[in-house]
Amino acid sequence: MSTGIPNNRLRLLERAKRALPALNPALESLLAGIVGLLVGALIMWIGGYDPWKAYVALFRGAYRDMYGFASSLARGTPLILTALTFSICMRAGMFNIGAEGQVYGGALAAVTVGYFALPSGLHIIMGLIFAMLAGAAWSLVPALLKLTRGVHEVISTIMFNWIARFFAFYLVANVLVDPIRAEKTISVPASARLPILVHGTDLSYGLFVSVFFALVIYFLLWHTTAGYELRAAGLNPTAAHYGGIKSKRTMLLSFILGGLGAGLAGATIVMGLPPTYAIYSGLPQLANVGFDGMAVAMVGRNHPIGILIAALFFGGMNAGGRMMQIIAGVPLEMVRVVEGIIVVALAIPELVRLFRFFRNRWRSLRRREPA
Amino acid sequence: MKRILTLLAVVLLGISLVGMIGLGNGKVAVVLDVGGRGDLSFNDMGFKGTDQAAADFGLEMVEVQSATAADYLPNVRNLARSGEYDLILAVGFLLTDAVSAVADEFPDQKFAIIDGFIPDKANVMSILFRENEASALVGALAGMVATHFGYRYVGCVLGIEIPVLYHFEAGYRFGIDWGVKKYNELGLAIGADVGLLYSYTGTFSDIALGKAATEAQLAQGAAAVYNVAGPLGIGDLEAITEYHTAKGTTFGPPYYIGVDANQDYLRNGLHGIASGMKRVDHGCYNAVKSVVEGTFHGGIVSLGLAEGGVSISKLQDLVDFFAFGVAAGAVDEVDFYTTLANWSANRANIPPEIWEAVDELEAGILDGSIVVPTADSVQEMQAVRDQYPLP
Amino acid sequence: MSWSYLWSILLISLHAMVPITLTAVGEIFGETAGLFNIGLEGILLVSAFTGALAAESGGAVIGLLTGMGTGALIGFIFSVINTYWKGNQMITGIGINLFALGFVAFGLIVLGAPGFHAVPAESRLVTIRTPVGSISPIILVALALPFAAHWFLKRTRLGLILKATGESPEAADVAGIRVNLVRLLATTFGGVLAGLAGAYISVAWIGSVTKEISAGRGFISLATVVFSGLNPVLALLGGFIFGFFESLATWIRNLPGSKAVPWQFIAMTPYIVTLLVVAGVIGRVRFPKALGKPYIRE
Repeated sequence: MSTGIPNNRLRLLERAKRALPALNPALESLLAGIVGLLVGALIMWIGGYDPWKAYVALFRGAYRDMYGFASSLARGTPLILTALTFSICMRAGMFNIGAEGQVYGGALAAVTVGYFALPSGLHIIMGLIFAMLAGAAWSLVPALLKLTRGVHEVISTIMFNWIARFFAFYLVANVLVDPIRAEKTISVPASARLPILVHGTDLSYGLFVSVFFALVIYFLLWHTTAGYELRAAGLNPTAAHYGGIKSKRTMLLSFILGGLGAGLAGATIVMGLPPTYAIYSGLPQLANVGFDGMAVAMVGRNHPIGILIAALFFGGMNAGGRMMQIIAGVPLEMVRVVEGIIVVALAIPELVRLFRFFRNRWRSLRRREPA
Repeated sequence: MKRILTLLAVVLLGISLVGMIGLGNGKVAVVLDVGGRGDLSFNDMGFKGTDQAAADFGLEMVEVQSATAADYLPNVRNLARSGEYDLILAVGFLLTDAVSAVADEFPDQKFAIIDGFIPDKANVMSILFRENEASALVGALAGMVATHFGYRYVGCVLGIEIPVLYHFEAGYRFGIDWGVKKYNELGLAIGADVGLLYSYTGTFSDIALGKAATEAQLAQGAAAVYNVAGPLGIGDLEAITEYHTAKGTTFGPPYYIGVDANQDYLRNGLHGIASGMKRVDHGCYNAVKSVVEGTFHGGIVSLGLAEGGVSISKLQDLVDFFAFGVAAGAVDEVDFYTTLANWSANRANIPPEIWEAVDELEAGILDGSIVVPTADSVQEMQAVRDQYPLP
Repeated sequence: MSWSYLWSILLISLHAMVPITLTAVGEIFGETAGLFNIGLEGILLVSAFTGALAAESGGAVIGLLTGMGTGALIGFIFSVINTYWKGNQMITGIGINLFALGFVAFGLIVLGAPGFHAVPAESRLVTIRTPVGSISPIILVALALPFAAHWFLKRTRLGLILKATGESPEAADVAGIRVNLVRLLATTFGGVLAGLAGAYISVAWIGSVTKEISAGRGFISLATVVFSGLNPVLALLGGFIFGFFESLATWIRNLPGSKAVPWQFIAMTPYIVTLLVVAGVIGRVRFPKALGKPYIRE
């Protein structure tokens, strides 16, 4: 090489250059995040609030101290799992919108451990297993419907969300109801609760469960043959089919894995969230966990590592939003607005390219003007 | 130049420091339930009472809404952690567990909770209401009205099935039963049975459900519908108004019975015959006042008819709450006299013997000769239902 | 059970049918052209809000028009992102729903009446009195529109163009049809109808806005679209079925005496029925081949 840069350092540079496109998705998410925050600030300003004060309160509440950080993680824990539900199936080329209903199933199943007694560790494991099985079962039926009758999974999973919702209402009010307090189910007994990780917060060991699941999925999808087949099916369904890979089995696998994750999410809420450890009538703690998970999945670019980061972000928005409400007086629905805009912004592919395009046009326009 | 600037900076700094010290006032926080404000009843009353107290005692008030049930604990805890609040007021039964947990973590922080049963903590004032007493009064009214005008049923649209609502249902049942028996005693007409139509809609926010439930009850012949589901009353009243429009009537049954706040003024007072009032605002106000005056104590505060905590709405209440309605955008200021006139005409439609009977029931409850049942659990509620089946 | 009960159920069903049918017919246009809009729920919610606000200052008709305009705007944004900007339809739709939830709740608080806002009686739409109860004129619109839409889609050249862009955009492109423009117009029109449905809820039916006033009706409309097999007349039927079961469930709960049949199972029925239809147990349903995919010219 005729350049003055030593050989090994050049190689590093080459490597970094090659890695850059891989960062593109992350860059897009970042850009979308900025767009979301800006539009949110605009809306706040129109509404008569102080956006700067609000955002400062938001981010400090979410990340400044251990308490805030733990709260953010706690909020993000179930989101990691429901995001994975969506992403695993997305990677396989399917739209699984059913996380919402699968979470209900998982939560209901987890509550049932209250009906029998076991030593603590075993009790927790039983709860998690019940929840996973319930979630997977609920996810399996739409998958089977697609396989056997060609039912589009978007429709079937939406239907199943609603059926699960009403079925859950029925179970919560009539079957699993707490005999003393009619507005909730029986509580998960102390032996089956996920212990609190950071004292004085609501972060439980459910975090480890979520992260562990995420890592398992990462390993499964990127380092096993079955995982490779799954991702290949998503990238090019026709080729995967003709390549002799069993696309049907792949699809089933993706739905089952997704259902396991969603069921687990229900368990982390019911077994991990103080102070009640039960399901309330109307399902308020479980509502929207599935849908928010989808947003997390998109921001996390459907990759387990990205999802972990995105879940921390969304969880932080949620936890910080509470402080924003107290300190800046901004209603926490603002958080939803920002999230929605971020997601819409992400819907535009290659947002970065669009951004560059506009920037170049602006530059060329300016260059035409006389100096 | 530099010296002047420095002087200016110091002066500004000084002013801001003094300003900050001057802001060292008391602060109170009110934590609301998932339904939030805008219900023209429970939450709005809680806010009103705390707001009034803050204004009267020169305190700063912070309002915190809960987006989901998972927020209860973190919201209460966040407020307690800051250590800035003289009182944290939780409005709603569903916040009980959260307040209980955080109260243990922060024993020096004062809490008050409306409708939450926390009897044994020194730093938690548990404000409970004997809603069954007010519900008995409106139930008696409804029962007598139904019999008088020849209606077969009386209706009730409830929210989520929580023990607090059992108080309402139990009192209402007792009242209807008492009212019908009383009416027969008075000999105003041959006694006919009056049954109760009721349903727990399972929500404190889906107004459409309230409207649909009321329509169903009206179609079966309900003379009055008691709203025990916060904002759903708006839907209930819609249904009643449309029923009247379809029949071409204005005054007369079927009637709307409001809850918590005085809701008689809604729709210019045409159909609201009474409200089972629950003075959450007084409860909140007194809680704040007790902290300011140093008389705060933990434990249960039970407010019923005798303490002015609950009541059946009267003329003065209508006058008082009209401003409340104007502030909430539910009615226009100019309609004050129309509303008053309509309301009075509506009430005049009902024979005075019925009103006297209601007064008699009220006196009986006050002097202890009449005991209104209540229920706090599913078994207790079932027992009351068995005792007053009202088929 | 007397006649008055049945009339009552019928009337409630008709009212409940309107938002679902209107939204479904609009979405049929969009899906026939190839775009799948899951953001209908968001459109319903925001239009209910803006419609109520406008009705207060300008009267009921202005309110309805504003709702339609809002729906058109959101539909337009959705279609631009998903045609010219080659976006992802699912993601856009989900983003719209999230945004709407936050925006309406936020807007209600800014207006000073958090959680709820009533539309005053003068601003409500007139109702037509019949011997058995009052109905809204929009019900008549909702009854007539599906037939008009069906005729349009099946018998006019424009309707054929719509179908072509959904079935095979490449062929349509070759034939000189401006695929993206057609899709844009179709989905924007879908937004208009959804906006009308939303404004109907707040201005003509329930008469107030809460932060969840749409109550999942956008998703129910999607189900109705599936149930209808993209046939607007069947969407009318589907909307009525949903409205009927919804009111039936409420009715059962409010009958005197024992609560024999759990209402939750009745409420579930329309969704199960839709599933059965889609699964081919009751008739088969075919979707346009290019539904859900952005059209990228090679």
